[in-house]
Amino acid sequence: MQRPQPKTVRRGLLIALLVLWEAVPLTGLLPELFLPPLSKTLGVLWADLDKYYAALLVTLYEVVLATAIACGFGIVAGATIGGIAALRVLLLPVFSSLYAIPIVILYPIFTAWFGIGSQSKIMFAGIYGFFPVMLSTAAGIRTIDPQFLLAARSMGATTTQQITRVIIPASLPTVFSGLRLGGALAIIGVVVAEMLTASAGIGYLVTLNRTILDSPRVFAGILCILVLSIAYDILSRLLERRVVVWQSVGRRQQTATVPRPATQAVAAPSAA
Amino acid sequence: MQYLADVKAATAAGPAIEIDRVSHVYAGAEGGVPALEDISMSVGSGRFIVIVGPSGCGKTSLLMMMAGLREHSEGRINVHGAPIPKPDPDRVGVIFQEASLFPWLTTFDNIEFPLSLRGVSRDERRRRSRPMLSLVGLDGFGDRYPHELSGGMKQRVSIARGLVQDPPVLLMDEPFAALDEQTRMTMGHELLRIWSTTRKTVVFITHSLTEAVYLADEVYVMSSRPGRIIDHIQIDLPRPRTYEMMATDTFGRLRDRIWQQIRASH
Amino acid sequence: MTRWQIILVRTAILFVVLGAWEIAPRAGLVNSMLLPPLTDVLAMLKVQIARPAVQEAILVTALEVIVAFLIAVPLGAAAGIAIAEFPYAGAIFKPMLFYVFSIPKSIFLPMFILIFGIGFQQKVAYAAFTTAFVVLMSATAAVESVKSDYVLVARSFGATPMQILRRIYLPSMMPVLLETLRISMIFNFTGVMIAEMYASRTGIGHLISNWGENFQMPQLFAGVILLAVVAIAFNETVRFLEARCSTWRT
Repeated sequence: MQRPQPKTVRRGLLIALLVLWEAVPLTGLLPELFLPPLSKTLGVLWADLDKYYAALLVTLYEVVLATAIACGFGIVAGATIGGIAALRVLLLPVFSSLYAIPIVILYPIFTAWFGIGSQSKIMFAGIYGFFPVMLSTAAGIRTIDPQFLLAARSMGATTTQQITRVIIPASLPTVFSGLRLGGALAIIGVVVAEMLTASAGIGYLVTLNRTILDSPRVFAGILCILVLSIAYDILSRLLERRVVVWQSVGRRQQTATVPRPATQAVAAPSAA
Repeated sequence: MQYLADVKAATAAGPAIEIDRVSHVYAGAEGGVPALEDISMSVGSGRFIVIVGPSGCGKTSLLMMMAGLREHSEGRINVHGAPIPKPDPDRVGVIFQEASLFPWLTTFDNIEFPLSLRGVSRDERRRRSRPMLSLVGLDGFGDRYPHELSGGMKQRVSIARGLVQDPPVLLMDEPFAALDEQTRMTMGHELLRIWSTTRKTVVFITHSLTEAVYLADEVYVMSSRPGRIIDHIQIDLPRPRTYEMMATDTFGRLRDRIWQQIRASH
Repeated sequence: MTRWQIILVRTAILFVVLGAWEIAPRAGLVNSMLLPPLTDVLAMLKVQIARPAVQEAILVTALEVIVAFLIAVPLGAAAGIAIAEFPYAGAIFKPMLFYVFSIPKSIFLPMFILIFGIGFQQKVAYAAFTTAFVVLMSATAAVESVKSDYVLVARSFGATPMQILRRIYLPSMMPVLLETLRISMIFNFTGVMIAEMYASRTGIGHLISNWGENFQMPQLFAGVILLAVVAIAFNETVRFLEARCSTWRT
């Protein structure tokens, strides 16, 4: 018998997961407290749709602003530090050392300073996303082939032209990659913050329902977040692929002098 | 016969490139690192010159200086009678070892890039790039992206880009080094065809002695660092060059001479 | 830039930052209630470390970190190696891993609490859960990083699988393994912190969370500094070891 396609197996696994989600609690293998059936979860989601919708809006609002902060500062800082050799040698190792600190321990400081409303979440998630985006951009900037600038100069390009016609288009893949990363981390940061101390948002709903042991509503919230993060991942990858058609080929391999831990850590940012 | 007449005509018009006692010293920790020592060359208009030498001898630096991309500490370089302190694509086209085509632009856009830097209109740019595309034998590939092209094709686009502003001088830094041998031979043949059609002055750098003898009118041999000119050889093989010539005694002797010079200089 | 110049400039930057932390609140530039001066924080740190309650919290956290790590690493490594060694499994699971990474795993914390209640087991289970994924991905990358050329050469000389494992894979993977452990520990630590701050009655994370809620800023900053220093110290130590093992790497 021929092996089924991996794609098919994946789909099969997903479907099996959903089936188990429904069947296991119903058959009593696991108490409903631990795992309410899928149908019940969807049921309460439908029943409380307005609440979840409102919460989702709050979360999205915070995510958007946090992404703007993380990417705005992260990309600019990363491009600057990565692009200027002196800064890179001085600062990059410092930043990748700082990366070892669990940023989440800073969150109580943010709530003390900014209160439990959206502002503290936005600031926190913004910082949470800033470091990896900066490290990723700094690494990505160095993959731009310096020959491009030499070629442009040989064709008589002015400095302005070198920046607008060569450096900016050449850095688009890095920038888009940073955007995707920043958004994903902003979602994680906002969710963690909302779960810890908040007054609104999906994370807050999840925590609220946990304390009253309302499992179906807890899982409804979890489901919302799962959908949100996966949807964001798919959409941003699609966008990245469309805009940067030529991305995969023609980029120089990353040089060995780029701090490897930074780039590898950046690839797996979400411990939260 | 026509060949000799061409040489006479070329030298009569005055040299296309004049390099007069050029030296260069890189600033270093202890004093300085001499890179080039007392280089002098006179390249006649329409001639195909090849520079060979060991790695690190400074031939690429010399080419960059001819292109106005690099400064030199001493001496003068004149292209068509005038110095070249900054890049001047109207006088000198440069082709690099790596095609350095911009991956986000199509073939047409890449060829037209120097024109677009000058603000030439879209229609005019296309009007001038089409014949270039044909000249390098890539009709129909104008709308492709570099990642869809092979190494040889990319170099052809690079050559088209260097020619689009019709500069009288073409500088080529080991353009075929990254290609496999069969493609190299094809490209060398193609390059000679393009050259004989356009009659540019070409300065070509290579490591390959065979390539040097096959392509050149004159070969300059450089020593290892600090680079000096240790030989200047006239290649008296008739044109158009053919593959069969590579098997002749003359070819072998010329190549041998270059090799002996390089070996002796180590 | 020479090594000494770099160290000098970095030290200077550090002094400026620390100096600002000290001077700004004292000079009234920032509210000293919100940002206590550095020396106050350090003094408070000294006080707190001496307290048995705090020492106990540190021990609890340390224990959670270690146990979670010991659980996560073998599980994650086994799964990661399996995915690397069996291409079919890899083809199935690798594309899913991307999505898994963008999911905020903290949303599963309530699940762990529902199952285990609030306490040591829940925190360890959650931290192990999050860390295992990181270990998995790193392990896969580590195995795949061993160039198949090297293995081919070894096999052509008749090396047995055991010899290949010991003489090719292990030395080749050693720096990557250390890096894996280092990065996994970072995420492990983060996971434990989140669990402690979310719902816990013990541990440093819980203390910090408490101090924050009660606006005890000097204590809060003291705790943050302590954790930051420990995290960085561990990280740099492993980095140093990595560098020692990596001399042959380009």
